[in-house]
Amino acid sequence: MADKQFKKKISDALDNDVLRGALGRFGDTYIAAREKAYEGYDFPSIRENIVKVKSYAASHLDEMIDQFEKTATARGAKVFRAATGEDAKKYISELAKQQGVKRIVKSKSMASEEILLNKALMAEGIDVQETDLGEWILQLAGQHPSHMVMPAIHMTKEEVADIFSGHLQRVSQPVITELVKTARAELRKKFLEADMGISGANMAIAETGTLMVVTNEGNARLTSTLPRVHVFLVGIEKLVPNFEDATHILQALPRSATAQQITSYVTMVTGPTPAYYEDGSVKDKEFHIILMDNGRRKMYNDPKFKKTFQCIRCASCLNVCPAFQLVGGHVYGHIYTGGIGTILTNFLNSENDAKNPQNLCLQCGKCAEVCPGNLDIPEMILELRNRMGEKQGLPFTQKFALDVVSNRRLFHSLLRVASKAQKPFTKGQPVIRHLPLFLAGMTEKKSLPAVADIPFRDVFKTIKQDVKRPKGKIAFYSGCLIDFVYPRIGEGVISALNEKGYEVVFPEGQSCCGAPATYMGDRNNARKLAIMNIEALNAESVDYVVSACPTCTHALKDSFQDLVKDDPSLAARAAELSRKSFDFSKLLSDLGGLEPGGDGVPLKVTYHDSCHLKRKMGVYAEQRKLLSDTTGVELIEMKESDRCCGFAGSYSIKFPELSEPILERKLNNIEATGAKVVAVDCPGCLMQISGGLDKRNPNIKVVHTAELLFDKRKKTSKKS
Amino acid sequence: MANARSAELYERFKAKLEAVSGECYRVDTEEEAGKLIGTVLKDKGVQNVALLEGEVAKKGNFAQQLKSMNIDVMSDNFRKVTPDAQAGITQVSYAIAELGTLVQADDDANVDQRLCSTLVPIHVAVVRTETLLPNLAETMSTIHRLPRIPGFVGFITGPSRTSDIERVLTIGVHGPKQLIVVFVD
Repeated sequence: MADKQFKKKISDALDNDVLRGALGRFGDTYIAAREKAYEGYDFPSIRENIVKVKSYAASHLDEMIDQFEKTATARGAKVFRAATGEDAKKYISELAKQQGVKRIVKSKSMASEEILLNKALMAEGIDVQETDLGEWILQLAGQHPSHMVMPAIHMTKEEVADIFSGHLQRVSQPVITELVKTARAELRKKFLEADMGISGANMAIAETGTLMVVTNEGNARLTSTLPRVHVFLVGIEKLVPNFEDATHILQALPRSATAQQITSYVTMVTGPTPAYYEDGSVKDKEFHIILMDNGRRKMYNDPKFKKTFQCIRCASCLNVCPAFQLVGGHVYGHIYTGGIGTILTNFLNSENDAKNPQNLCLQCGKCAEVCPGNLDIPEMILELRNRMGEKQGLPFTQKFALDVVSNRRLFHSLLRVASKAQKPFTKGQPVIRHLPLFLAGMTEKKSLPAVADIPFRDVFKTIKQDVKRPKGKIAFYSGCLIDFVYPRIGEGVISALNEKGYEVVFPEGQSCCGAPATYMGDRNNARKLAIMNIEALNAESVDYVVSACPTCTHALKDSFQDLVKDDPSLAARAAELSRKSFDFSKLLSDLGGLEPGGDGVPLKVTYHDSCHLKRKMGVYAEQRKLLSDTTGVELIEMKESDRCCGFAGSYSIKFPELSEPILERKLNNIEATGAKVVAVDCPGCLMQISGGLDKRNPNIKVVHTAELLFDKRKKTSKKS
Repeated sequence: MANARSAELYERFKAKLEAVSGECYRVDTEEEAGKLIGTVLKDKGVQNVALLEGEVAKKGNFAQQLKSMNIDVMSDNFRKVTPDAQAGITQVSYAIAELGTLVQADDDANVDQRLCSTLVPIHVAVVRTETLLPNLAETMSTIHRLPRIPGFVGFITGPSRTSDIERVLTIGVHGPKQLIVVFVD
């Protein structure tokens, strides 16, 4: 759970209009610009190629390092392997001393930021100058980068002008072209005077000993051309087997990072190159390469995190992250920010430093969709969260709640009590608009749904299923929200599947899918629930298991298998359940969809994609077709239909201050369509979006696809 | 060599380069290249230029031509002259049509090639049309097939740029503010 100080950092970031403006503008344009940059290129196959070469390097790391050292040395480079950041710093300091270095210019190197290299060198009395514009601004301001690719994205031109004015002792105007001109002139002097250059690299080619640097400003070219001593500081994850393998990364890096086809410069250095010395002579320079570990190997040796080697540091995961866009990088607290940064911080700094930022992940999965290295960042963050939960335990209130949920009888009887106890707050409405006292925050910007009078498990017994010559049997897994809040969705599911000729059963022993426990880092309770449901659903006795909540479906299909993998007989049953489990729209569509029908009454509908359904199960076309095939329905696509609504389970309770602005953006996109109904396939999204609309625009209704099909296809209209 | 293939590659290159604020020209002979460069530089008010004489520059008598147009030509002592020169002229090894990219891949990693193309505010790059390569992949394999990878290989695509302040694109940070590419058939 996030601590107080962390919460304070979040609220400061949210209050910072400058930050919100800069990040918001970029976030708004990035997705479209990135898509345009990939136009005519097949992103999945580029990604596949990257995965191939990088995973090979990861599995042959020692071989790669040996080969690189051999080839680079053969070309005249001096290669040093630094186990820690301290080793790297010591090597550079000593080299500087030995070479009589007084002035250093650096082109961008996140590895040097990671080990706070500048501080160490400046303590030796050496003048160290960052030359990447963003890095230079931060150096003058005494700040850390907030983004891997655009380090100073959190600052305005006014702030930059103030910093320049203070540093240069003359007034700089907040005009970007002028500020850039000033930087050029100031840093040009530094380049010409420097006796040592330090660079990072984007790739280190084992086959040829080549280092590749991708830049736009030209500082890497100057750094590798002018000074007589050159040091490359390179993390071992930059290794790539063969020269031509670099092609794949060069195809992806600029497109994913800054939506460019290629950067202004790509610089490839193999061994020492000639340089001018002070006496005017031209000789090969003193050339050193440091391959740095500093905690990386520990990360690659961990099977759950080995894939981080495939990261090419494009930062596209930051650019699409709804949470990052709101709070920016500094809230993450360390050098590496955003989703991937949380993971790197955990291994390269400390677990303790990752404890707060890992909470920021919504688990929406957008980053995994755009990642050119095919990293499932949310899964890795979840793994961190669970490990932390196991090691440190959860706070008492969370633990208590999750213990209650994993005790089915207690949990369900409490929900039944709640349906009565809530009466003073519902005022006869299906929603709770205001809560008293400290709970008021939860209903400030959105209403909460009331617990249904009669849970679905009781409604089920009253449903008459009229299936002549049934084709088979389907078990319905309702999940908590359909069971206790939205039972009508369940009626829709049964009606549609009956029409397809299937009888639907409702196994009584089913309970919560365990997602709240999983996403809060409580693997024990998640496992308990997995076993309870595997046994209750008894997949062996039915043809399919259907769920109308994608988070539950993901648990049935994937999480259960992982949670019981150590028990062979349970694992076999979980595998059977996984094979037979489908989300409602997907199953209905696989069974051939519904006969043409519908009441024909015109209805403008827009569709919101649930994160789990689209990105975990790849289902987005099926439900749109089911809806469009219903006469009367006019489907209007909203902008960013697959952007998270901000619910994310307990996230909306943990971080209402982040959940709300994310929801607001969704509501704006919904309103812009002019639709009267928002169709969704996830009861969680339904709860979040309808809660927001109830407060802001109660004329727009949010309806689950199953319920909408049910309503529009009933011969005699039976509106609730 | 004005065949259909090179014409097609040239058009692609030109469109890509112009999309990133570069200027693109194409001439038949070395002589014409020198004349064109002189005219373009004159138009920009350039009075002196650092000229690294490549084989095209020599054949086209660039130095003579530029001098006759009253442009000061500096063709040695580059470490001294390039920080203040108004423009630099070099010949590059390849051009990539797919991206509008120039490739510097001198076998000897010539430091003057880099000075004349990096420190100056205007870089004029001369390139043989026949060295146009269709795409990045073929370029990488072409470099890979060389007897050895040159010590310095530089891809240049348009002028130097930054978006580090407020994500606003600004041309000309540490490298050239203008890039002029002249293809010689």
